[in-house]
Amino acid sequence: MDNNTFKARLKNEEDSGEDENGEQKNKESRPVVKPGKGEHPLQFNYCFWFSRRTPGKQTSSSSYDQNLKNIGTFASVEQFFANYSHIARPGDLSGHSDYHLFKEGVRPMWEDDANKNGGKWIVRLKKGLASRCWENLVFAMIGEQFMVGEEICGAVISIRYQEDILSLWNRTAHDQQTTSRIRDTLKRILNLPPNTIMEYKKHSESLSDNSSFRNTSVFMR
Amino acid sequence: MSASPVQRQIVSSQAIPTRRVLLNDPSQLPHDYSTTPGGTLFSTTPGGTRIVYERHFLMQCRNSPLAKSPPPNLPKIPGVTTVQEEKGELMKENGMGKEERSGKENANHKETSGDEPQFHMDI
Repeated sequence: MDNNTFKARLKNEEDSGEDENGEQKNKESRPVVKPGKGEHPLQFNYCFWFSRRTPGKQTSSSSYDQNLKNIGTFASVEQFFANYSHIARPGDLSGHSDYHLFKEGVRPMWEDDANKNGGKWIVRLKKGLASRCWENLVFAMIGEQFMVGEEICGAVISIRYQEDILSLWNRTAHDQQTTSRIRDTLKRILNLPPNTIMEYKKHSESLSDNSSFRNTSVFMR
Repeated sequence: MSASPVQRQIVSSQAIPTRRVLLNDPSQLPHDYSTTPGGTLFSTTPGGTRIVYERHFLMQCRNSPLAKSPPPNLPKIPGVTTVQEEKGELMKENGMGKEERSGKENANHKETSGDEPQFHMDI
């Protein structure tokens, strides 16, 4: 583990410590979300985001930011379902749309501090599989099935015209032990066929070619 | 020989928390040897207090009353949080009721309530 990673993890642990004391920093002056009485707390708070590309103009980083809509934050299993059960299934979304589910405090952007040294695993899905795969991924993430410490940043389902794309973002792109563990867990929880092609892309490369899903590194097993 | 003050402190610490995990099939075993079934890596969880939920448990929580009511400040996004004004339509979007409808996605593969083994994909 390099020094930066270690600091990032320490910072995260402090954050969750503050959670327990009810003194979490209120960065964007939103009310602090906590598990209600008798609810099942999650290891981390998460935010649902939605974005849809506006027709016509190509998206720059700033217009992407403007298109991001925060749907809601949750801290418990029950609060998760309150949100999740009242938004459209990804397979029923229209056009060029994305759901993002990220840890609270992490914006679903390459430039975010938590993401800038990170990258993502990409799984391309045939039409018709998005809702089911997204659910499996989201359940595994909030249920802490990945077992890679603080490495997971968030997940994205991207609805496109020909295919749908599932992405899982992690903090440290060069940490190969972590990325392969994430890949293996992804395969297991999505029940991917053994010959599935998995792609990885560093956010720094996405920033330089301004593309999410092109020029990826391809892995087969 | 008496223990040093440091050692005495350690002796008076808490019991180690344990959790039992039931496996029904060898395939549910973790894929690598350093992971315990349903558990976490010791090296990544100092104190071993990570909150882990299995899929099956999450599905059970889905039916609690709080999980069924929409959050108070859900923004209105057409086609996402506000579907057509049809009664009950919105409530069913990601919820349990959806499976009973003839959903668009059901055409190609059988939709399940989630407790069955996961489907096999053809990607």
